[in-house]
Amino acid sequence: MPSTPPEAVRCRIEIDRLRKNFSADGREVVAVDDASFRINDGEFVALLGPSGCGKSTILNMVATLIAPSGGAIKVDGAPAVFGKPVRHVGYVFQKDTLFPWRTVEDNVGYALEIAGVPAGERRSRVAEAIRQAGLDGFAHFYPASLSGGMRQRVSLMRTLISRPEILLMDEPFGALDTHTKLDMHSVLLSLWERQRQTVLFVTHDLGEALTLADRIILLSARPGRVKQDFRIDFPRPRDAVALRETRRYAELFSHVWHSLGEEFAKGHSA
Amino acid sequence: MRRLSTLLWQVAIALAALAIWEWGWTFHDRLPWLVPDLLDPYFISRPSAIFQQFLTLGCLTTSDGSWTFAQPGGFARCIGKSENNLWIATWFTLKNTLWGFLTGVSSGFLLGLLLGRSDRLSEIFFPFITAFNSIPRIALAPIIILAFGIGDASKIVTAWLVVVFLVFFNTFEGARAVDRDHINAARLLGASEWQVTRTVIVPSTMAWLFASLSPAISFSLIGVIVGEFIGAEHGIGRMIIEAEARGEAAGMMVAVFVLMVAGVILSALVRRLQAYLLRWRPAHQLGG
Repeated sequence: MPSTPPEAVRCRIEIDRLRKNFSADGREVVAVDDASFRINDGEFVALLGPSGCGKSTILNMVATLIAPSGGAIKVDGAPAVFGKPVRHVGYVFQKDTLFPWRTVEDNVGYALEIAGVPAGERRSRVAEAIRQAGLDGFAHFYPASLSGGMRQRVSLMRTLISRPEILLMDEPFGALDTHTKLDMHSVLLSLWERQRQTVLFVTHDLGEALTLADRIILLSARPGRVKQDFRIDFPRPRDAVALRETRRYAELFSHVWHSLGEEFAKGHSA
Repeated sequence: MRRLSTLLWQVAIALAALAIWEWGWTFHDRLPWLVPDLLDPYFISRPSAIFQQFLTLGCLTTSDGSWTFAQPGGFARCIGKSENNLWIATWFTLKNTLWGFLTGVSSGFLLGLLLGRSDRLSEIFFPFITAFNSIPRIALAPIIILAFGIGDASKIVTAWLVVVFLVFFNTFEGARAVDRDHINAARLLGASEWQVTRTVIVPSTMAWLFASLSPAISFSLIGVIVGEFIGAEHGIGRMIIEAEARGEAAGMMVAVFVLMVAGVILSALVRRLQAYLLRWRPAHQLGG
């Protein structure tokens, strides 16, 4: 590409004046109003906001699970089409969506099976993924006999196994207890620092956003608009636990908290 | 300790029931207020007579009471002599029960899956299905015998008819209850519509199908027996009707006893199968 300088950053997700209305009981509710932002290649972006601000709605529109009411979404320059997921985009749910009738290894290997990857290669990639997630010895377990944290590790690997370049995550650790959550942050950071996927991570937990992300996009209370865009400049690789004890973390926390707090207050009075 | 005492109680109750059945009638003349007319061996026979009849019908003893195995080829000769001995009858009844079960389960599953996943089809066909389902299936048995003859086909069709609706309604519910998020997850992991059907909709509907297998096998047996009552050349149901015509309570009781044993074994096998196929479910959901 002679026209672009080699160090130019590539835009992977482009969201332009995105809007979403729902009609509930005959009343129109504006969930997302005029949201615009761009995410560059290899960036880890947290979408932060109070509950009900439409952050998951934005994510699900990018994932093509929900049709927008207006505006545009482009993934790698191509417009997102409702119901047509893009191959190299992975999605991690908040809810446990593991297939309960499949064992851990068959859940992890699902995408490879669907894509027709030969059994030999599939086995070795599944074994590697299970090892990376610290799930050795659980390959033949069914999801019902795993803890919440382990299930979410399996979910993560089920998505990562097909090596998606873009990762959409909808409060994936929202249902976990604090300790398990920190544990999952370490797992995710170590996996991500190796692959450097482009990530859009929805959360309402400021600590989580600070720990993981390069940028925090703060949404206003409903209707969701981009309120502020913070750059989080902690060096990488990060230690999910030690990070929380640094002065810079405390500074950034109170800086973003102030803005976030205003939105929480608005959300309650609305 | 508790298990032992439970077992002792069960044995005691069974022995008491058998004893009343065997000897209760002898007190009828002396204590008519205690021993009801229903205990008359003319209706319900006696355990000892039933056992004798079992040995005879099962070709284990000849009519004079000597063991068929005592003479070389005696058992085979007896089997060959009587058209509808216990073994042949049991074989025909079980064979038709299994066929009714298999055809009913497979067609009920396909039908339930098809209508459960297509709003349009279920909209069109549901009134017909509801109407058919309100017919007591057994009422159709004579028509089926008329149409399919007194051979095996009519028994299988009767059993199929009883099983298919049961499995259909279970599968239909299951196909509607497939978790949307599982379908979305599969799509986002790259699955095509056909792959979603094969890897998500069919396996999660299977869980509902399996839950209907236990009643399905019992229903199938009922269907076959009713078919045999109305017109058959072989089978346990036919044995009961023949014994009734001859006023042989012992013969009827042997047949009923064999059916009880067959029912217990069949549902135990199906439950084992079910537990294996649903092994991924948490224990407290099993048997649902």
